[in-house]
Amino acid sequence: MPFLTYPLALLAAAALPALAAIYILRNRYRRREVSSLMLWEFAVLSREGGAKVNKLQLPLVFFLELIALALLVTAATGPRWQLPAHARPLVVILDDSASMLASDGAASNTLPANSPRTKAAAALDDLLKSRKFLSIRLVLAGPKPRVLGSAVTTAPEVRELLAQWTCQSPDSALDAAVALANDLGGPQSQLLVLTDHASPGSEFTGNRIQWWAFGATQPNLAFVNATRTTHGEADRVLLEVANYSASASASAAYRITSGSNLLRSATLTLEPRARQRLILNLPASTPAIEATLATDALAADNRITLLPAVRKRIRVQNSLEDATLRSLVDKALDSTGLRSSLFAAPELILHNARATPAGTNAWGLRLLTHTNNLAAHTGPFIVDTAHPLARGLALDGVVWTAGAPGTNQFGLPIVTAGNTPLLSATEDALGRQQITLHLVPDRSTLSATPNWPILFWNLLTWRARETPGLVESNFRLGSEVAVRALTNSAQLTLPSGATRVLTKTAEEFVLEPETSGLHTVTAGVSKWQFAVNLLAPEESDLANAKTGKWGEWERPEETRREYSSVLWLFVLGALVVMVTHLFLVTHSKGRV
Amino acid sequence: MSHREHLLSGEALGQRYALAVPQTALAGMTGSQLGRRAGTSIDFQDYREYQPGDDLRTIDWNVFARTDRLTIKLFREEVNPHLDLVLDASRSMALENTPKSAATLRLAALLGTAAENGHCTHATWLAGDGFQRAANDTMLPSAWDGLAFTSRRPLDEAFTILPPRLRRLGIRVLISDLMWPVEPLSILRRLADGAAAVFVVQLLAQADTEPPEHGNIQLVDSETGEEREIFVDATVAAQFRDALARHRESWDAACRQTGARFVSLVAEKLDASLPALEEAQLLVPA
Repeated sequence: MPFLTYPLALLAAAALPALAAIYILRNRYRRREVSSLMLWEFAVLSREGGAKVNKLQLPLVFFLELIALALLVTAATGPRWQLPAHARPLVVILDDSASMLASDGAASNTLPANSPRTKAAAALDDLLKSRKFLSIRLVLAGPKPRVLGSAVTTAPEVRELLAQWTCQSPDSALDAAVALANDLGGPQSQLLVLTDHASPGSEFTGNRIQWWAFGATQPNLAFVNATRTTHGEADRVLLEVANYSASASASAAYRITSGSNLLRSATLTLEPRARQRLILNLPASTPAIEATLATDALAADNRITLLPAVRKRIRVQNSLEDATLRSLVDKALDSTGLRSSLFAAPELILHNARATPAGTNAWGLRLLTHTNNLAAHTGPFIVDTAHPLARGLALDGVVWTAGAPGTNQFGLPIVTAGNTPLLSATEDALGRQQITLHLVPDRSTLSATPNWPILFWNLLTWRARETPGLVESNFRLGSEVAVRALTNSAQLTLPSGATRVLTKTAEEFVLEPETSGLHTVTAGVSKWQFAVNLLAPEESDLANAKTGKWGEWERPEETRREYSSVLWLFVLGALVVMVTHLFLVTHSKGRV
Repeated sequence: MSHREHLLSGEALGQRYALAVPQTALAGMTGSQLGRRAGTSIDFQDYREYQPGDDLRTIDWNVFARTDRLTIKLFREEVNPHLDLVLDASRSMALENTPKSAATLRLAALLGTAAENGHCTHATWLAGDGFQRAANDTMLPSAWDGLAFTSRRPLDEAFTILPPRLRRLGIRVLISDLMWPVEPLSILRRLADGAAAVFVVQLLAQADTEPPEHGNIQLVDSETGEEREIFVDATVAAQFRDALARHRESWDAACRQTGARFVSLVAEKLDASLPALEEAQLLVPA
């Protein structure tokens, strides 16, 4: 019996017979013999005439007490009641991807009047006017779902929160956002997805989720790739334009400018679903360039900004004793293009000494060419491919002759032959890397293979990455940007001019830009600039955009199964009954 | 305590009192008190002319010598006054859990003893199924017998079934709780008929004068066995007191109307209430 599962209710129920017993005993008549009833005739008459009054007073109090007890017993069972639909919480998932700003009219960076985002906001406003919800929460579905503000209850509060719905993201993780909304709202909540494409499946609809799409299939030309890389002493710019029209070829004018200088201007004609690359070689000294396409459905993918590629060069001091070897190494270093002239303290010292080179900023590469216990290794070599120095090495067929090391004093092995470390690295107390290379060049073929310059390219690249500043200057929206700086705090200036303080993680500041455009990181006296571009083919492709509604909230058979606690109602009722009881008792002058 | 003990107790109490005999009550059998009529005592009362049949020994020969007329001397008669004690023998006089019957016996014995002290004859009548005299009622109260309060009839019915033969010009005392619904005058007129004096002593128990505590009460009539269930509260208690007061007033008014005297006593406070009997001129200190 369910009732027995509530001990409190069981205890309270025991009070019911107790109360009845009290009243039964209280209502028993005491027998009394009198000389005559003649003096009580009035009382008999009064009782007969007013019997209802007397009977009503007693039972009224009794029944009030009985009702109060019954209410408390019911309250102790934790009663639950059907939850009306309008009393449910609502969680709205907002598609924050850039395609929500698509417009069939003149596109702009502001909110277009007929964009899916504007239509969705209006539909949400209408919904909030027509129905009431217990609470409303907004979840922004960007690459990672994010809760927008706290729970609100009114349409004006929702409109205020919607100001943060900027639709700048390169992607929308709607499935993760729905999962988050589900956790956030609980099992009684109703979910509403506002997006521009159709529901991916029935798991996103049903009786709790409604999927409203406000998109429209439209032709759109977009930059889908943009890079600016070093190419010798010049920069090479690669732009890729796609035509996301479903059926017709499209032509669009494009312009590439650098400041006020027009670098190229032409018209592209693309077949449906076709892409075309534009390659441009620029002097490395060319400042930021901007590429624009003619206005179409989506504005965000029509503009690209590319900063000059980062050229980090390392000051290398070659102190190797053997002239042949020194020449061999110099050649390899020069071939990387990452070596700069030694105009200041070296950042990398190549040497044969056992001691660590001086200099707080200098890494060391020690070449051990001793001939004691020589062994020519032909493989197999064990390579730590995850190490920056081993990237791209292919040692098959290489003869690697080296003297046997005396003890294992050379740190983490990167390349070994059996149990013989050939290349190893260790980090000293100052954070400098000390690399040891066991190699007898004249008895090895390593320097005659591509591995030789690769090894030094890896070395300089690794060293360059450890110097302050950015590794790249152009990023896709949504990618992670790491900035290495010596200071413990840095400030990010957004394209809008707003600033944000960055928190250092390990040795670098890591950030994820949320908007396209030029960003600036300032750390102490140093300042670095990087460009962020949308470059999101899936967002630019509006061929799959749809308008429609999927899913229903109200299914009576489901609603009936959902209950909410109404304990407070019974406790309140018991209080009211007890107050009434108290009033009757105090105003009856002891007659009850 | 048994009836006898109560009678002894009343007898002892009555030694302090004598029955107050009014002048109108000086009639009766030849006794020790001077009566109102001419008699054979030595106390001169009057002269009158001789009439045939008069005792020749009463002729005052001195007057005949002076006036030549036969004149006889009249002397006061000597009588014993009489007390008729009427006891209500209904069951209500033995109300359970009260000293009502004991007080009735004590009071009757007290009055009987007071009558003895006042040189009065006395008779005790029990009003049950008609009026019957108690056994040995002419003797001292401690010798009385047959006093039982078991009747279920009210006093007026007893008068109807078998009325008492009350002595003319006697003193009549009714001891009852008067708890029956009848017009007092009908009883009092019968009692007062030919009586020298009538006293009505209402003897109630404390329980008769005070209503029960508040709550549900099942009232049982001690005589009829009739039951009533009522709820006693402050209002009902006040109504009861009013009804009792009106009842007393009706008897008091009827007593005044018939020349009787009304005294109300409480059984539990009998000893303290005796001065009320003196005030009513029923008893005088012996």
